[in-house]
Amino acid sequence: MAHSPLHISCQEVVELVSDYLEQALPADDAALLEQHLNFCDGCVWYVDQVRTTINVVGELRAEDVPEETKAKLMIAFRDWKRG
Amino acid sequence: MKAYKVLRADGRGVFTAFRWPLPAARPGEWVRSEPKPCRSGIHACRPSHLPLWIGRSLYEIELDGEIVDDAMKVVASQGRLVRRIDAWDEQAYDAYTRMCADRAHELARGHGLDNWEAVIEPSVPEGGALLGFVAARIAEELDGVEGYHRERATQAEWLAERLQLSS
Repeated sequence: MAHSPLHISCQEVVELVSDYLEQALPADDAALLEQHLNFCDGCVWYVDQVRTTINVVGELRAEDVPEETKAKLMIAFRDWKRG
Repeated sequence: MKAYKVLRADGRGVFTAFRWPLPAARPGEWVRSEPKPCRSGIHACRPSHLPLWIGRSLYEIELDGEIVDDAMKVVASQGRLVRRIDAWDEQAYDAYTRMCADRAHELARGHGLDNWEAVIEPSVPEGGALLGFVAARIAEELDGVEGYHRERATQAEWLAERLQLSS
């Protein structure tokens, strides 16, 4: 949820981008995020990158991921959780 | 209902990239969509909303059907572009940007806000949407939420007068 009813920061765009792209953000917050995108080219670029990543990853099936990569990911997630 | 629609320079929706049927000798075709703010529907501005969404091209839009009034926009079940606002050209865009920059300077200098003063001129190449926001944020720092809204209202009045807009 945005901290101010008037505007959101670049940091908040980063926090909210997934919900925004999944249309899970409350309408008022989505409006504030879009207002921010209207003047912040850096965040437009970031949101586009996340959108592209979601589209690409969304096409991947579990069996498409090599066993070696799966093992590396498991280690990375385990360490991330510990950290 | 008469309202205004900001589009990309090529006539596509700013966030959806929807290719709007543009008006020529007559209004563009009607577009229909369920009116759910920030999800679907025809999103448009009253003059008071324009500083929040200002961009490179501006159209008058006719809205009809179910209309949802929101603090930051209006959303309708159908709309068609009536005419391009020709007065909103490069010159007007630059003049609006300059007006917002000058106003931001006035607020920042008058209250010794050097941190804000430093970001104003470097932001000018980014255009009026950013400068309008900067001026409103400085006003907010000085006078809280009321200051922010007052600055946005001043910007809306400038646009309405310069472009001869009415609701």
